[in-house]
Amino acid sequence: MLPWNYGFHFATASYIFLGAFYTVLIVVATTLLNAFLRARRDLTKAKAEEIRWHSDFHELAAADRSCRHVLTGEFQSRECPHAFDCRKCETHAKLIASHPPVEGAGEADLFGMSFPLDRMYHRGHTWARPEADGTVTIGLDDLGTRLLGVPDSVELPQPGEEIHANGTAFRIHKREADVRVLSPVDGEVVETGGVDRGYFLRVKPIDGNMDMRHLLRGAEVKPWLLGELERLQLALSMEGASMPSLADGGTPVADIAAAYPRTDWDAVCGEMFLEP
Amino acid sequence: MVRLTGKLADGQFITRGVSRCSTERFLLWLAPWVALLVFGVYCAGLCLVKGLNQTNMDNRFVFGLWIFVDLTIIALGAGAFFTGFLLYILKFKELSAVINSAVIIGLVCYSGAMAALMVDVGQPLRCWFTFWYPNVHSMLTEVTFCISCYLAVLAIEYLPVVLKNRRLKEIPSFLVFEFELHKLIYVLAGVGTFLSFFHQGSLGGLFGVLRGRPFAFREGLMVWPSTFFLFILSAAAVGPSFLILTTWLVEKITHKRLVKDQVFQLLARISGILLCVYVLAKAVDTLVWLNRTSPGLGFEAAQYYDWKPFGTWILFAEIVLFGLLPALILITPGLRARRGWLIPATALACCGVALNRFVQTVQTQALPTLSFDRFLSYSPSWQEVGTFAGVLAYGVLVYSFSFRYSQVFPEERELKAARVMRLEIPEEELVEAGR
Repeated sequence: MLPWNYGFHFATASYIFLGAFYTVLIVVATTLLNAFLRARRDLTKAKAEEIRWHSDFHELAAADRSCRHVLTGEFQSRECPHAFDCRKCETHAKLIASHPPVEGAGEADLFGMSFPLDRMYHRGHTWARPEADGTVTIGLDDLGTRLLGVPDSVELPQPGEEIHANGTAFRIHKREADVRVLSPVDGEVVETGGVDRGYFLRVKPIDGNMDMRHLLRGAEVKPWLLGELERLQLALSMEGASMPSLADGGTPVADIAAAYPRTDWDAVCGEMFLEP
Repeated sequence: MVRLTGKLADGQFITRGVSRCSTERFLLWLAPWVALLVFGVYCAGLCLVKGLNQTNMDNRFVFGLWIFVDLTIIALGAGAFFTGFLLYILKFKELSAVINSAVIIGLVCYSGAMAALMVDVGQPLRCWFTFWYPNVHSMLTEVTFCISCYLAVLAIEYLPVVLKNRRLKEIPSFLVFEFELHKLIYVLAGVGTFLSFFHQGSLGGLFGVLRGRPFAFREGLMVWPSTFFLFILSAAAVGPSFLILTTWLVEKITHKRLVKDQVFQLLARISGILLCVYVLAKAVDTLVWLNRTSPGLGFEAAQYYDWKPFGTWILFAEIVLFGLLPALILITPGLRARRGWLIPATALACCGVALNRFVQTVQTQALPTLSFDRFLSYSPSWQEVGTFAGVLAYGVLVYSFSFRYSQVFPEERELKAARVMRLEIPEEELVEAGR
């Protein structure tokens, strides 16, 4: 049947069989090679962080992938098609053009937590505050801070390193939880902070322009935070914690992790910091 | 950066947010299967080192128990190619919930079958002969080529399942390779469908072309006997049923809901429809064989069933009990919606394909065809059974490790959340909310 076999002669069946067999082998090998080459290209272009976020985003529960305009009631249901990067979203641009957000609208004190209006919020519980010198300060929002309490350790990028929106900004360890905190913006790190300094990073724009259209601001924060508290309640319940419902009132304690010593904190943080 | 810290090392590899048993319990679960695998390897070793005299195979039963096992598990493993085909080619998006499980089952079935086949052939050092010196006149050649290629495809399809492991995906090169490979997976699904279509058919064709065995010989289309098409159809019909059955089994063992009911219903509906078509085709094929093919070769079909224990009951069981009955259950929405009907129906369908492969392999060989021939019975030796048990243990082990360390069922966490919500929110509020 094969050309190197004794007594081989070409017949139609040989052509068909060999053709099909080698086509299959070539297709499989090409597919594998293609994946290898694409992966190498991605690594060369430092796209691993972007891919990690896309991969994580699609593993989030459907409800957690909802568009920001669902939070504000502009849509009844809509899944974000851009993995929370509204800078690429035409729908967002149209909606913003028709209903420009009112700067300063909203409340600084939400559900007993502090959400100052001078900054913008990322759905991974970080904030970004533009500074007068053109840099942007990055920190954990109040709910994120309460979730992690006093961290066991923090891994920050070095000054000079670049971080990208939805990529890893820094890592925080708390009990068994190893949390990858998502960056709210693109930028080059110019200074690192810490828990006691009220911020974690200060970055400058990579190409001189800091686009922050994808971040939540003003009146958008409250409905988002309400959803986050519901998500937290569900995450805690799923990990076996018995807790009061939102209807019972009250405010989250300063160190939620300490209040639930037996709960799988890694799972809770994974849920809340969008790292499934 | 991958950090491992002593006691937590095992837990750090488990998908975040899903609960798995303790390491100790997992090891306890593995222990009997590892023992069985070791026993299986010992049995296979005996056959390979001492020869096939360790088996009860003879010149009549040249493949014995293993060929029955091979054909059965390859048919059951068809869920891999068929689910891949439905998901990636026909875009049944719901099936993404079970595709990983289907791929693992397929890989286990095909690699297990290949291992058993290698022991069966008995010359492992010459296994490459089949590729280098293929027999032009044997359908087994096509089967070997197709199964080998498809096993390679399944191994590649299994890679993303492994690389999705929580710690492995922290390694950037693994992460991007998995991502890029997953984007091209539809090509592999297409190739898998092509290969499976042919080797499932050729396995059936192997017996359908046996002119010297009128019990198995069938007429057909061009070079393909009817068994070629019946094997494809039966495998495609039973693959989804086996997927339902294994998923249900894993749910029972782990006490977790892993897949939404809609997915079960979709798989059951597809399986039921295909099973109906198969039963119809099989009935027509049997009638043609009874009334034309077999008499044409000088054998009245009734005489095949005079040899006990292979009476007409086996024909009834194959077509009605294990074919028509599960088909009717699976296509009836009211019945398949209840687990009490669904699971037995899928089990019956799987038994049906096993019985069909048994009839094709063992019964065909047992029946005499020449005047000086006699009815021969065959029972496998403990070494043969042990080798089969080893394959079974291997399958359970691969699935167990995959389930523990990979995200086999992507909906698991969502279903866990739904269960918690059901516990917390009164039933009437859930109904109002449409959940």
